[in-house]
Amino acid sequence: MVIKQAKEVLKIEAQGILSLVDRVGPEFEKAIESIMKAKGRVIITGMGKSGLVARKIAATLNSTGTPSQFLHPAEAIHGDLGMVTSDDIVVAISNSGHTTEINNILPMLKKIGAKIVGFTGGMDSPMAEACDLVIDVGVEREACPMGMAPTASTTAALAMGDALAVVLINRRHFNQDDFKRFHPGGSLGERLAVKVREIMLINDRIPMVPLGSKVQQVIEEIDAKKVGATLIIGKDRKLAGIVSDGDLRRVLLRNKNIHGMKIEDIMSPSPKTIDESRTAAEALGLMELNAITHLVIVDKHNRVKGVVHLHDLLGRKDFKINAGLSPTAGADR
Amino acid sequence: MQALVPPRGLIVDLITPLKHDRSIDGQGLGHLLDRLSPLAHAVFLASPDTGEGKNLSLAQRLELLEKALVVVRGRIPILFWITQEDEEKTTETLLGLKKTLERRRYEGQVFWVDTPLYYHSNYYHSNRGLPALYRKLSSMVNKPFILHNAPEFIRSLAKPMKRSNIRTAILKELVSFKAIAGLIFLGSLDRSHNYQKACRSRARFRIYDGDETHFMDHPSMSGVVSSGANLAPEAWQKITESSLRITADQDNYPEYLQQVWDLGQYLRDLKGIYQRMPVTIIKEVLADKGIIETPTCIFPTKDVKESKQRAKELMDRFGDRA
Repeated sequence: MVIKQAKEVLKIEAQGILSLVDRVGPEFEKAIESIMKAKGRVIITGMGKSGLVARKIAATLNSTGTPSQFLHPAEAIHGDLGMVTSDDIVVAISNSGHTTEINNILPMLKKIGAKIVGFTGGMDSPMAEACDLVIDVGVEREACPMGMAPTASTTAALAMGDALAVVLINRRHFNQDDFKRFHPGGSLGERLAVKVREIMLINDRIPMVPLGSKVQQVIEEIDAKKVGATLIIGKDRKLAGIVSDGDLRRVLLRNKNIHGMKIEDIMSPSPKTIDESRTAAEALGLMELNAITHLVIVDKHNRVKGVVHLHDLLGRKDFKINAGLSPTAGADR
Repeated sequence: MQALVPPRGLIVDLITPLKHDRSIDGQGLGHLLDRLSPLAHAVFLASPDTGEGKNLSLAQRLELLEKALVVVRGRIPILFWITQEDEEKTTETLLGLKKTLERRRYEGQVFWVDTPLYYHSNYYHSNRGLPALYRKLSSMVNKPFILHNAPEFIRSLAKPMKRSNIRTAILKELVSFKAIAGLIFLGSLDRSHNYQKACRSRARFRIYDGDETHFMDHPSMSGVVSSGANLAPEAWQKITESSLRITADQDNYPEYLQQVWDLGQYLRDLKGIYQRMPVTIIKEVLADKGIIETPTCIFPTKDVKESKQRAKELMDRFGDRA
């Protein structure tokens, strides 16, 4: 009896999802286009079990490259509505379309100017009427007796949310690297969760030459340390600048007599730095923001403690965690 | 053909109130419908079992519809069973009912319910020709049809070569007819899945649970055809609305769930009492409470005093005044 009942429930839920297949149509396409064009985020809202589904869809969208946030409809009218802007797309989930808390906030969302996409089985409901786009997630049969808890209907809404996320992945050409960036639980993610101090290059692995060095020395240091750049340090290891492969290339293009130049004329004088207590993910974000591949780690007196390269974050072969080593031991040159 | 949206929710499988002379008890019908109309989403008249349709003569059916139209006055949709023992008589019934509507200039929603396998061919290939049959029937009337798939009812004919269910492939073809708006389904859950798949091409095609127990276990989102609602319409309305989530959010959720659970148990217990002889027991209780004039059935029935007493006690205990 138990097995039979369990199988019946699974069949009903499977049928609930299958029933959506024929109903995915122009409204779904329009929803995708709206999200693609939106400058803001996808705000997902729902009450009760639909709220839990909304949270999961928001998480899925976030991890697949579509910025998303859950909005609790009851909290919305107590101030959280402030998170919504006219650039956002709101996805409201209610199986019946009669959920009071949802229907209460729809006029306010409209006033803000956000586009509203409804996920509902109540195509004639007040919610469906208030939404700009309505995606039918209704099911033919619920698995749970007497409406004690929504079952097949919430499964269907969840599956439709997944359909939305996956289509958006393809539309955005979201690739494996992007996926890893948003998944701190993955192998790369674990690496990105660690502190910069644990992965930065330290001691004699730091490429650095003192101010006043010849260009030849700089080239040799870059070549020897294989980081694609070298730091230029002043008195007491204080950071003075950085010279990267790119800097050398650009100087060579402008001036054939590179060996006669001073290192101070070649270097970038204010390299970007990061505190050793920040995470690798934050370092990666900073690199992306500034379109650079190196970050220098300095102490409060601007003395060099380490350097981190983009490859160290994204996983080159010799990536190692430095835990247990003193970042300054043997660093004097 | 009118493009009507079929009702969704509680469809009461109404008993047919009869006087001692077996004519339709118009006053009783009025009491019943006045009591049920505010709570039901539709009413099913002359159904084969609860409505005694299989034993009602054409004259009785016409009288029943005539009197029901006067009481309902378009307040809720009417489903009316048209099936007779052969195609000719079924057509005659349909045309007679149609004339009644025309004579009354009835503007409300009416759906013709038909159990095609009951009369269409007595052999294994009894599904063959159903599309042609409905092409013909729908050309005669301008009200939509609701199919009735009732395997046990067909098996009761004791014709071993006859199919007892509408074939899924045939249903798929029938669903493409605008004249067919829905299906009252009795049968296995697996078959209901197959039927659902077959009907997906039509938005708002309804598949009603013809079995109250199925509905209470795994509710169809189209609704239920309930004979128990003759006795306990308020409880059935609440269960249906909860199951279909017509009323979504409740202020006191745990208490609401407890109420729904208790109501469900009450309706299951009540069904446990009347399912042995539904028409007789329901009529006895309703007559006892003065809602219908007599408990008369088309055919003489066994003594059900004990069941009537148990049903009344249960209803009183639950505060259902019927």
